[in-house]
Amino acid sequence: MDISMDRRRLLGAAVLGGTGAFVGATALGSLAPEAAFASGTSEVAPGAPDPDFAEGRVTGIEGTLLIVAGSDGTRWRIRVTNGSSVWKLRPTTFGAVRVGDGLYARGVRLPDGSLAADAVWVNIVNLHVHVASIARNAVHFDHRGKRIVGWVVPGTSAAVYNDTPPIADLSLMKVGSHVQVLGAWIPDTNEIEIATVYAAA
Amino acid sequence: MAGLYGVASWFCCGNAWGPCGTAGHGACGTCNSGSYQHAWPNTSDACFAITRPDSCGEYLNRRTCGFTHYTTNLCNGRRVATQIADCGPQTDLFCGQTVCCGGTNCTWNRLIDFTPAAFSALGSLSSGVLPVLITA
Repeated sequence: MDISMDRRRLLGAAVLGGTGAFVGATALGSLAPEAAFASGTSEVAPGAPDPDFAEGRVTGIEGTLLIVAGSDGTRWRIRVTNGSSVWKLRPTTFGAVRVGDGLYARGVRLPDGSLAADAVWVNIVNLHVHVASIARNAVHFDHRGKRIVGWVVPGTSAAVYNDTPPIADLSLMKVGSHVQVLGAWIPDTNEIEIATVYAAA
Repeated sequence: MAGLYGVASWFCCGNAWGPCGTAGHGACGTCNSGSYQHAWPNTSDACFAITRPDSCGEYLNRRTCGFTHYTTNLCNGRRVATQIADCGPQTDLFCGQTVCCGGTNCTWNRLIDFTPAAFSALGSLSSGVLPVLITA
């Protein structure tokens, strides 16, 4: 049986059937985000919107249900279960989500139209920027003509220089250079917390 | 087209929250973060002049808006079909960037950027980059 279909059925059952379904979910293996992407081919037509993917800002939290206003006007109801992975600068739990957060989510559409989340990425951004200045605890980036402050988070922020493993030392970035920064946006600001910077050393 | 091995990343486009709020709908005017779309470095002469994949030794076919590529994540075998909706990535700024699956199945050079919907169908958005095989 296809693993991804098993996981999808269990996510749906977890939302509708209670905690008994979670025994089966862990028996299938890891609940980490990578396990949600077991081998398979997506059925969505090229160029088309993905009905199992949500984007928007959290406008309400009702128990384990996220009410999300999509940027295109769609109103999403996203159900987060023990089988869902949540990322907010780092892997975390549902309790870290706040009203006002932006998010992307992928999961399974349920008969009531809600989305049972496989994975939720809160405030995640992946920006191509120029390095304007580097301070001890922050890097200032230029993004499309606007300034973004990237906060260095001790124990979390890391840099990948060329093809080396991630390291905590961000000082090897060069002012004026072009880098890619993966991080978590701080809502309603021009600031992000840095998860990973990809740069040439 | 014979398969191309390279590095994939993701970007946001269309109306969206945060720093993506001013991203616009890409060079093709159709890009949206929730659709199965991607950016390609050689969609036009103007695009190629910016991305310069040849600087990294990559000679990519000219493909225009709406063309479909098929991309496989080398780490998990997931495959998506997406349409070109933008110009990018800026390949020449990441020449030699190497990404591997746990030390094996390594690819290099940034050749394709996906919308969040498409990238998340291949792997986790928090990965940032993936080693992929691209076919037409």
